[in-house]
Amino acid sequence: MEFKTKTLENGLVLIGEVNTSAKSAAVGFFVKTGSRDEAAQINGVSHFLEHMLFKGTEKLSALEVNEAFDRTGAQFNAFTSEENTVYYAAVLPEYLAEVTGLWTELMRPALRDGDFDIEKNVIREEIAMYKDLPSFDVMERCRTLHFDGHPCGNSVLGSEESIDSLMAEQMRDYFARRYAPNNMVLACAGHFDWDEICSIATESCSTWQRQNVERRREHCEGSKGKERVAKANLVREHVCLMSAGVSAQDPRRFAASLLGMIIGDDVGSRFFWELVDKALAEAATMQFGPMDGTGAFCSYIRCSHENVVKVLDTVRGILDSLGKNGITKEELNTARNKVLSSLVIKNELPMGRLVDLGFNWTYLEQYRAIEDDVRAIKDVTVDDVHTLIEQLRLGDFTQLSLGPERNGQ
Amino acid sequence: MRMTERADKYTLSNGMVMLGEPMDAVGSVAFGFMLPAGAARLPDGCCGASNVIADWIFRGAGERDNRQLGDALDGLGLVRGRSVGSSHLTIGGALEAGNLTPALDLYADIILRPGLNEEQFELARQLAVDEVLSLDDDPRQKVMLKLREQFYPSPLGRSTVGEVSELKLVTAEATKQILKDRFNLSATIFTVAGKYDFERVCRRMEGLFESEQRQGGEPETLGSKQGKYTHIENDGAQVHIGLMTETVRPADENYYNARVAISVLSGGMSALFTEVREKRGLCYAIGARYHSLKDAAGVMCYAGTTPDKAQETLECIIGEFHRLREGISEEEIARAKVGLKSALILHSESSSSRASAIGSDYYILGRVRSLDEIKDEIEATSVESVLGFLRADPLDDFTVVTIGPRQITLT
Repeated sequence: MEFKTKTLENGLVLIGEVNTSAKSAAVGFFVKTGSRDEAAQINGVSHFLEHMLFKGTEKLSALEVNEAFDRTGAQFNAFTSEENTVYYAAVLPEYLAEVTGLWTELMRPALRDGDFDIEKNVIREEIAMYKDLPSFDVMERCRTLHFDGHPCGNSVLGSEESIDSLMAEQMRDYFARRYAPNNMVLACAGHFDWDEICSIATESCSTWQRQNVERRREHCEGSKGKERVAKANLVREHVCLMSAGVSAQDPRRFAASLLGMIIGDDVGSRFFWELVDKALAEAATMQFGPMDGTGAFCSYIRCSHENVVKVLDTVRGILDSLGKNGITKEELNTARNKVLSSLVIKNELPMGRLVDLGFNWTYLEQYRAIEDDVRAIKDVTVDDVHTLIEQLRLGDFTQLSLGPERNGQ
Repeated sequence: MRMTERADKYTLSNGMVMLGEPMDAVGSVAFGFMLPAGAARLPDGCCGASNVIADWIFRGAGERDNRQLGDALDGLGLVRGRSVGSSHLTIGGALEAGNLTPALDLYADIILRPGLNEEQFELARQLAVDEVLSLDDDPRQKVMLKLREQFYPSPLGRSTVGEVSELKLVTAEATKQILKDRFNLSATIFTVAGKYDFERVCRRMEGLFESEQRQGGEPETLGSKQGKYTHIENDGAQVHIGLMTETVRPADENYYNARVAISVLSGGMSALFTEVREKRGLCYAIGARYHSLKDAAGVMCYAGTTPDKAQETLECIIGEFHRLREGISEEEIARAKVGLKSALILHSESSSSRASAIGSDYYILGRVRSLDEIKDEIEATSVESVLGFLRADPLDDFTVVTIGPRQITLT
């Protein structure tokens, strides 16, 4: 593995990790923008804009863009979160330069009115699709309740209303402010020629204008509110719990991810043994989600309507006992082994490696080899986790339930 | 670029076939036991029992109770995998290569000496029932399960999740009997891919598993297909449309023509994506893929759309299926080929994908295809061969299932 980096004069950072034994290569643009960077009246614009990038440039139509990707056999896509918009492609090594060139062109899109209007329908369909996925819907609603006015609670998709009223001009304005070279990273991983990638990026991206880009980054403790939403067509009770965590920049993030694993991995965790193994709930998981300047633990539980009270009592019992008795050394070892296996397996694929490489730079402006992360995870002690448990108060959570209508409701 | 992968194969004295594919670039290893206990191989009246078994056998085995077994598996850092298909119940996972031997020891206990405690049975069954109930809250998954059930001749399409009415009647005794009849090691396929020493693995497995051959695994007789159109009412935001039409099986000489045709229909810049989503904005989620069992195969398509657009979406999809045989350009074929070949190689970097691909090849074809063979076969297709296939074997007899607030009309 060889790490490479270069910064263009306008602030665009290029990074690469070359692995000549890989059979493929992956490239991605990591743009530091998402729903938390949106004002209420343009909510959903980051995600909508992600769709619009595929609609082409002044020189390329949407059809030509798709044809160009297909000629390289790329597996390509993009995703938008509360704070990042990522465009990526995995290809055979001989196509990496071509597909990188294509992405650099697409990062300066035409954003045509006609395309904007048609794509609005697709966005509306996407919003409708997620409404039919209660496991997603409950998390989104809980996030809004938890972050309670903090921008991290903004919906990624936006609402039907915000999308309906959004105008192409507002999107063009948002694009100009956020897709600045100093707010993006171009990353590559796998088998590729670094010098070739550098010259493509230099030629294509050097004219992009640097902008003053800002973001509110304050920590959020969360509202700790409790709500239940009823929907007539639902059968199961879907419960989401959120509580404050540490940020993506915080050195305690490794201990936090191990703690999340100990409490809520899908097998072998405390949630698993107390809830799933005993058939009180068919799903019960917790994950730690580090974010820019803040972070959260998020649990998803699905069970029958009759079991909800018992399930929530059990959850409180698990979290109380962590505060009182802490974790065991064996639990930490097991969690560590699981985290390390997943990390290593994921990073064996250039596409998996790309994601860690890009996010490490986005959050830390730092290159971390896999070995650095492995070491950081191995170094976490039982005491580190105990300190974190004291600081975080996981039992103090925001709770949102989504389930069938009950009598009298 | 020619691929240089090696195929390992060995048959244990009990008849279990062991397949392996070493991968130089990885430090992990993935393995799987394909047990002939899939949904279609169960006796009538216990649909879902495979799911109960898949849970129950992990609730204690050998000398270990439920908790001890779980802790032992987790302690190895095993990323567990478990799936119930039409033909097989597959258990296994991926982990750091050095831990493979102790993992195999545990899996031998799970397969040969599961605890099968009655109290644990009730919990496993309850979870299986809950999983079926949860499907009502996931119409997109449910529509595809229903579609398979309607499309494949019975019992091949039988729900891999199960039926609540049948699960409620399944007893621990009956399930034990199924397990005894179905865990036929002579018809089990073991796969391993990644970093491993094949000779050592074989020696270990020979010692772990008994040497006598077992009986069972007789072929089932196939019934007929179910209805052409099924609608399930649900007051959700979208109508979820599942649609399937018959095509050739992997052993057929036209298999690669079919794969290329489907890629033109639903690859990256495909007919479906362009016409249904890009030009008309009818859907967000739209796509078709090849789906096969050993004895039947089809093109499986999904689209989700709001009720007012559902009829137009269905007509547009069927229109694209028909239009396919009217003409395909050289350019479209070239793109489909690059896409298929590149997906093949990208997947070949993952130990888990390779372990599952070699097992499924062996079961369906009786041998493991090399990546080079697949590449060459894809390369050998042409506009003429794909169109010839589509005209002789048109994709136009559809089975349709919808879930949502509105029915559609099949013309």
